[in-house]
Amino acid sequence: MVGGAAGRQGLGHDFSIRCDGMIAAHDLTKTYGQKTAVDAISFTVEPGRVTGFLGPNGAGKSTTMRMILGLDRPSAGSVTVNGRRYADSPAPLREVGALLEARALHPGRSARDHLRWLAVSNRIPAARVDEVLALVGLEAVAGQRVGKFSLGMGQRLGIAVALLGDPPVVVLDEPVNGLDPEGIRWVRTLARQLAADGRTVFVSSHLMSEMALMADHLVVIGRGKVLADCAMSDFIADHAASFVRVRSPQREQVADLLRGSGLDVAVHDDELRVQGLDAAGIGELVGKYGLYLHELTLVRSSLEDAFMTLTADSVEYSASNAAATPVGSAR
Amino acid sequence: MTMTPTSSTVVLDPTRHVPGVRPPGFADTLRAEWIKFWTVRSTFWSTAMLFVLGAGLTTLVCGLAAKDIASGAAGDPPGAFITWGMMIAQITAIVLGTMAVTSEYGTGMIRATLAAMPGRGAVLAAKAIVVSATLYVVGTVTAFAGYFGGNWFLDREGVGVALSDDGVLRSLFGSGLYLAGLGLLAAALGLLVRHTAAVLSAVLGLVFVVGQMAWLLPGTWGEWIAKLMPGNAGSGVAMAVSFNPQLLSPWTGFAVFAGEVAVLLAVALVVFRRRDA
Repeated sequence: MVGGAAGRQGLGHDFSIRCDGMIAAHDLTKTYGQKTAVDAISFTVEPGRVTGFLGPNGAGKSTTMRMILGLDRPSAGSVTVNGRRYADSPAPLREVGALLEARALHPGRSARDHLRWLAVSNRIPAARVDEVLALVGLEAVAGQRVGKFSLGMGQRLGIAVALLGDPPVVVLDEPVNGLDPEGIRWVRTLARQLAADGRTVFVSSHLMSEMALMADHLVVIGRGKVLADCAMSDFIADHAASFVRVRSPQREQVADLLRGSGLDVAVHDDELRVQGLDAAGIGELVGKYGLYLHELTLVRSSLEDAFMTLTADSVEYSASNAAATPVGSAR
Repeated sequence: MTMTPTSSTVVLDPTRHVPGVRPPGFADTLRAEWIKFWTVRSTFWSTAMLFVLGAGLTTLVCGLAAKDIASGAAGDPPGAFITWGMMIAQITAIVLGTMAVTSEYGTGMIRATLAAMPGRGAVLAAKAIVVSATLYVVGTVTAFAGYFGGNWFLDREGVGVALSDDGVLRSLFGSGLYLAGLGLLAAALGLLVRHTAAVLSAVLGLVFVVGQMAWLLPGTWGEWIAKLMPGNAGSGVAMAVSFNPQLLSPWTGFAVFAGEVAVLLAVALVVFRRRDA
């Protein structure tokens, strides 16, 4: 447990909020008629780090998040926050801050009024409203009706809502959607900062590239099942292996030589993919034997590729079966 | 739009004691719903419209019909006219009750509401109190304004009704009660159906069309069905002298109407608690 979590016992000063800060799903299941959206998934989200919740669109991310927040009722299994169901929290906004879809707002209400009723509902001091407005950079437009907001401004307001109760647990559903690059960087920094505070941060995304920059830990979901639950660094090591591409007019000899030196060599068309030694080492080795090289390149397979490989079988709506491309992966 | 520098995101200190001193209770849920209700423009415009239609039309009709009422050519006694506009103002009460619920479903707001206040019974109760209290107060004030406006013309023709006359005060306060009940009926149906247009059509149709057509049903049972329709049962309390002699007596009718609203609210509560947001 990270120190920050212990420090927040002041939160539960007159009424008990047990703060282990964990989100724990146990055999969590959601079915809609015949269709299983979330299929008996179990995972825990721990404090002090950013946990990415990654999966193609339609994988069950939002459904899971709605169940965490007690909005949807699990068909089976359970999910708890701080050891109890979300709905049993005496003051949920002070325990769990959530960014739902950006438009969970009435377009005719001003940003300040929206935050004001939320604050009142959970006995959060009114001063906190202006504080979070400043935090997300919306103070200048706080009095404007949110219907006029751009997608990015709506997303910022959603983040202000999530932070309103200064909660130890923060749940963000696709927080970078609709944000410009500057906004994306801001969310990334914010998420990392919240985790550094000792908070539990659970962020969903369908973009591996975004998760790679933001998350310490990764829960990958596809077709309602957990495909991977591991540290980000492990995922990178396991799934994004690098190799050296070697082209040579003397391909056979080079391949034999490298294999003879204990390296992994795979032949792809006219190229060799070599693992086990860096480009410089391979170049020197080949040079010693006087063989020619036409290309010697270090290739890092991208995480996006790794993610797509992992989820290829579970993509709900792919462009075609041959090219299973998750929607939105074209970044 | 200006962007807060990234560094200022650090101001959140998790050890700080932001929350209040005790857990939120029903009073806070009620306050939150009150703020929500009054921070959209449609609420102001609907209540303003309620007043203009209710008080304005009563005054206008009494002004236009005063001579006929005095001569007996109108066919109904003056007491039947002093809350005339309220029968039209019903529409705005139904709109207010409907919008208090369906606007949340139309915009996705309901998820923010239930994430902040997971007790669905408490949310429904708070909404019901906000809608009915507002309509009761605005409806009663409107009825009084209409009475004073309309009666000024009736007095000039010598057929004015006094507040102390039989049924007059009851009809003015009854107008507030009836509108509050209609608002609750619309809100309950709003929770069940969740689409603004569908709910508005259903409630307006039930009160204004189905309720009237039911009088055409044959036989005693037909007459009873008509008497028990919500609009027919509930509206008697809002009239000093009824245009329609077949209506149930004012308080009996209102009790029937209140019972119907209560049943619908109970069904709405059960569905609301079970359903995913």
